[in-house]
Amino acid sequence: MAYQGGGGHDHGPSPALYPVSPESLFTCRTHNICMVSDFFYPNMGGVESHIYQLSQCLIERGHKVIIVTHAYGNRKGIRYLTKGLKVYYLPLKVMYNQSTATTLFHSLPLLRYIFVRERVTIIHSHSSFSAMAHDALFHAKTMGLRTVFTDHSLFGFADVSSVLTNKLLTVSLCDTNHIICVSYTSKENTVLRAALNPEIVSVIPNAVDPTDFTPDPFRRHGSMTIVIVSRLVYRKGTDLLSGIIPKLCRKYQDLNFIIGGEGPKRIILEEVRERYQLHDRVRLLGALEHKDVRNVLVQGHIFLNTSLTEAFCMAIVEAASCGLQVVSTRVGGIPEVLPENLIILCEPSVKSLCEGLEKAISQLKSGTLPAPEKIHNIVKTFYTWRNVAERTEKVYNRVAGETVLPMDKRLERLMSHCGPVTGCIFALLAVFNFLFLTFLRWMIPDSIIDVAVDATGPKGAWTNQYPYGRKRGGDNETSKTR
Amino acid sequence: MCAQPVTDTPETRWQKVLYERQPFPDNYVDQRFLEELRKNIHARKYQYWAVVFESSVVIQQLCSVCVFGVIWWYMDQGLLAPHWLFGTGLALSLIGYVLFDLLDGGEGRRKSGRTRWADLKSALVFITFTYGFSPVLKTLTESVSTDTIYAMSVFMLLGHLIFFDYGANAAIVSSALSLNMAIFASVCLASRLPRSLHAFIMVTFAIQMFALWPMLQKKLKACTPRSYVGVTLLFACSALGGLLSISVVGATLFALLLVSISCLCPFYLIRLQLLKENIHGPWDEAEIKEDLSRFLS
Repeated sequence: MAYQGGGGHDHGPSPALYPVSPESLFTCRTHNICMVSDFFYPNMGGVESHIYQLSQCLIERGHKVIIVTHAYGNRKGIRYLTKGLKVYYLPLKVMYNQSTATTLFHSLPLLRYIFVRERVTIIHSHSSFSAMAHDALFHAKTMGLRTVFTDHSLFGFADVSSVLTNKLLTVSLCDTNHIICVSYTSKENTVLRAALNPEIVSVIPNAVDPTDFTPDPFRRHGSMTIVIVSRLVYRKGTDLLSGIIPKLCRKYQDLNFIIGGEGPKRIILEEVRERYQLHDRVRLLGALEHKDVRNVLVQGHIFLNTSLTEAFCMAIVEAASCGLQVVSTRVGGIPEVLPENLIILCEPSVKSLCEGLEKAISQLKSGTLPAPEKIHNIVKTFYTWRNVAERTEKVYNRVAGETVLPMDKRLERLMSHCGPVTGCIFALLAVFNFLFLTFLRWMIPDSIIDVAVDATGPKGAWTNQYPYGRKRGGDNETSKTR
Repeated sequence: MCAQPVTDTPETRWQKVLYERQPFPDNYVDQRFLEELRKNIHARKYQYWAVVFESSVVIQQLCSVCVFGVIWWYMDQGLLAPHWLFGTGLALSLIGYVLFDLLDGGEGRRKSGRTRWADLKSALVFITFTYGFSPVLKTLTESVSTDTIYAMSVFMLLGHLIFFDYGANAAIVSSALSLNMAIFASVCLASRLPRSLHAFIMVTFAIQMFALWPMLQKKLKACTPRSYVGVTLLFACSALGGLLSISVVGATLFALLLVSISCLCPFYLIRLQLLKENIHGPWDEAEIKEDLSRFLS
């Protein structure tokens, strides 16, 4: 709070000086954004690539972006990625599934130091599974910073574990300024889970880089090929594959399967292959690197997704971008992702999925499937990271105009919103957090913390120093006028 | 957020799709928001008396433990001759054995393909071994203090009640563990009886009580629910009577426990059912309803 007056966010003129037109508001105002999540490179997945791509596009739009995550093995300290994207790998202990342990306190000194020296104005946390993201939200509110949270996953309401995590999410989000979900279904889910006002929840889908996923019909084999790329786990419906593969292989002699991905359910697929003697027709590729996914996808005609739950499903967009006919289960946000002429939706059962696949096969045989190039050209207009960044920027602008709840209001909100018991416990923790912060400010006042050199943003050293950066700056201009 | 004014004409109807750029702000909330929300679709409507009937399984098991305790006390005090208990137990077991086949007309036996000879063999093997080892049982726990034995038995019997298969499909249910805990408790208690014959008969009785009796009960409940209710009442009364002859306070407390389980708990279950708010929607994880193991066998 103290340093905000000291020129924290006075980059760029205040929007009030300009005639009130949305365009000027969006292009003139820049923010100092800190993305926080436990999940980042070298870990690989949807959240990781979302953070990376979004940060790159925000940098392109002139914002200062830094990323905070925990140390991955030897990868610790500060690293710079493309375009001067600064990443802090913090020495926090990993507890489970690459998520750090949370005590709500131990990360405050480190995070405060970073927030102060980087002059951060907006904290953007990602993924409800990340303890660090929630910690950062908690500290940021104590420090009076604006907060944004992106939820990437769906959760049920039935079992004990989801009841507990939903309660924690309610606590974490009740005083967060804005929440971003990746699909409308995800928004409904998050609003219900955290008992939120739907007005402060925006839907901004994920995106796919269409230049990474281009079709290549010459790589296809003569016979029909169904491609599956997913982690081989229960939630991705790998069990359903064990029914689909033998059924379809018996019916179509010229049908092949290519399966990319690794996981505990791989053994089932191996058993099926053994049992039905399908070694030459079912290829199990094992774990794939993200850059290899395209080369696997283009070998097939049909893409099959058997997920049992999915907030957005990037895999089907990637497959459609490569020109494949997509067959998928109708779960979660999947029906929102692709228009009906590009996807065949089925119920999550062997029978329904086989019917969907047979429909796709008959279309393929009769030649009524659209050409891969044509599908690619349609899909590439749907989801782009530039669009995501533009929409996220609007959220930042809105949040920057809002006030952060002062301590007394925040306590009131916690107690009124999160139930009598949980509310009081977390209100108490918030008070402790505040006292701890006051202590830290007394130990090391904000004024003696060094200010970091901006790598990105309006005064970014990276863009001023390197010719490459300047070139990208030129790109930036063109993208703005577009 | 800054966006064009929203007009709700048919041309600009909001769609629940992500691939189209719509003239609405990202945080727009349509009337159709949460329209697919369903509540309590799997919630069951309970009938009071049906729940009371189902609770009799718990009553039966509580009574089994109670009867077992009472019989052990009588044996320990020397008020009950082991021969008498053995005779009664044997007679009741034979009646139960005949009933077990009569109830479903021998269908269960045909399905399992188990012969009477096999039954007789296992009964003989069991009795011989228990009889042979009963002197060992007698001296097994001599070095352990009696208080420890009592405490252990209580915990084991509680465990038996917790893990018993009352028909609920839960992870905690394990009939094998439950039976083992009961037998362990009986071995502990039997080792404190005066002679090895007592110990042998106590363990045999435990087997009848905790292994054979629940099997017969299950069949009774499935085939003749009416007589099952009668048997439960009779069994509960005899357990109460037995306890009453030892301790009035104990019997009163036990009676209260039985009444609360069979009458109050069902009442609260039905009352609380009204407060149930189970939310379902498109975000729920889909369930695989088919049996997929057939593809692998």
